[in-house]
Amino acid sequence: MIEKEKLELYAEKLLFKMNDEEYETLQKEFDVILKQMDLIGKIDGISDVEPMTFPFVTYTAKLREDEVKNTLETEDLLVNAKHHDRSQIRVPKVVE
Amino acid sequence: MYKVVIGLEVHCELKTNSKNFSGSKNDYSSIPNSNIAPVDLGFPGILPVVNKEAVKKALKMAIALNCKTPDEIIFDRKNYFYPDLPKGYQITQMHKPVGVDGYVMINVDGVDKKVLIHDTHLEEDTASLDHFGTYSLIDYNRSGIPLLETVTEPCLNSAKEAIAFLEALRSMFLYCGTSEARSDKGQMRCDVNISLMDENATELGTKVEMKNINSFNNVEKAIMYEIERQTEVLNSGGKVIQETRRYSDEDNCTYPMRSKVDAVDYKYFIEPNIAPVKVTDEFINEIKSEIPMLQYERINMYMDKYSLSRYDSTILVKEKEIADYFEKCIKEGSDPKLAANWIISIILGHLNKLEIGINDIYVTPKMLTELIKMVSENKISSKQGKEVLYKSLSDEKDPTDIVNELGISQIADDGEIRKIVLEVIEEQPQAVQDVKNGRDRILDFLVGQVMKKTHGKANPSLASNLMKEEIEKR
Repeated sequence: MIEKEKLELYAEKLLFKMNDEEYETLQKEFDVILKQMDLIGKIDGISDVEPMTFPFVTYTAKLREDEVKNTLETEDLLVNAKHHDRSQIRVPKVVE
Repeated sequence: MYKVVIGLEVHCELKTNSKNFSGSKNDYSSIPNSNIAPVDLGFPGILPVVNKEAVKKALKMAIALNCKTPDEIIFDRKNYFYPDLPKGYQITQMHKPVGVDGYVMINVDGVDKKVLIHDTHLEEDTASLDHFGTYSLIDYNRSGIPLLETVTEPCLNSAKEAIAFLEALRSMFLYCGTSEARSDKGQMRCDVNISLMDENATELGTKVEMKNINSFNNVEKAIMYEIERQTEVLNSGGKVIQETRRYSDEDNCTYPMRSKVDAVDYKYFIEPNIAPVKVTDEFINEIKSEIPMLQYERINMYMDKYSLSRYDSTILVKEKEIADYFEKCIKEGSDPKLAANWIISIILGHLNKLEIGINDIYVTPKMLTELIKMVSENKISSKQGKEVLYKSLSDEKDPTDIVNELGISQIADDGEIRKIVLEVIEEQPQAVQDVKNGRDRILDFLVGQVMKKTHGKANPSLASNLMKEEIEKR
């Protein structure tokens, strides 16, 4: 079973909090996931298979030509912001 | 004494029209938040589309850095939380960057050194933040600008070597036309990793990282400060703490920012929105053909082939345009040493004074070559030659014309002047008759015509004597 401390560390890194009940559920879920992983790991010759990063082998068909287009007006950006100072978005100070 | 070990991470913005993953303009010096697209702002549902030119320029730099290039490029996500990163992750490269295992040759105090490159990878710049009393302002113009990060191995051993590497790297960007690489505009920024170790030790000491130093000058000062600080810590029996420090140019000190304990876990994973990009041999060959001969090679060529000093060669290659100009002079037939002297002692001073580039001046390599020839063939003195060049630069006139106008170079050839004298006699029968009739002053007029035809080049007393002689014959 995955240790609760490990999950707490991940939660911390991912910037969220969970209660004990949620940890318990997650531990049970991980139990299933890890067992399945073990099973896959036992398949013959699995270590010779390249890890896949996409569901099937595919490539970016075409790169974008370097042209300026599809830009937004500043006003359209600012409607999303609670506070702005002329054309810049204002947030609480982020450095000391 | 400790051995200093330095590794650098250099970020440089690539010169493209549009951003790395969106079509908004690559120019953050304009009005804040005027060059923005949904992709740059991390809006829901966005899809990044890779800029071909950014990939091309990144690969160009990888090749110039003697890196191995991959057969396919993959992008990764680096996750962290900060207001300058609207998506919550930066698209960068970790698994298959544009280049790995390269090197750059530098020369410090006449000694060659191979600086090893761990990798160079294509990523995107963040938004820029301005900090005020109680708040910060965000400008997304910089968000998504293509950024190339070049990481060296920990193989530099002094501040001097670090600066020499940075200068070499900057010149590569300029020679390849991939970036303006101006640190004063924040286009080129540097992280410095530095540690000290006992001279006979086999393992590296504990490193300290200094982030985002914005000028080469400050990189040098930050390194000097850290060497001193870490030496003191070690000498007093202490241990250097692994941490990130901030360099402040106000008091020329470094301050702790965060220790290894609160180091961020970036949770890298492959960017699922961008399928791998194939890099064909054809594309690589096309890029290779566009890379000019670089600084280091040119310096060696000037020293070996043209017998220039390292000092002069280094001055000539500082800008590619100047090096190209110099090489064109040689193609036109200039003596390399003379061409180098004239360019360095006069033309570069003129460029600095007016703050212009060598391609902005009137004097072409061909003109300069002609002038140098006049001097070496003793048609004019070296001092006169210099005056002519100054005048040519300021008045925008061909040096040869100036030599003629000033009458510095004189036609003292009997036959050549006699030919012109005869022409004038032919054209001015009345004046010739007047002279014959004893009106001596008219002779001056006729000699004046000869001077006019030769643009003042004829030796006046010779012209006068020949004119008298020819008129008397009639």
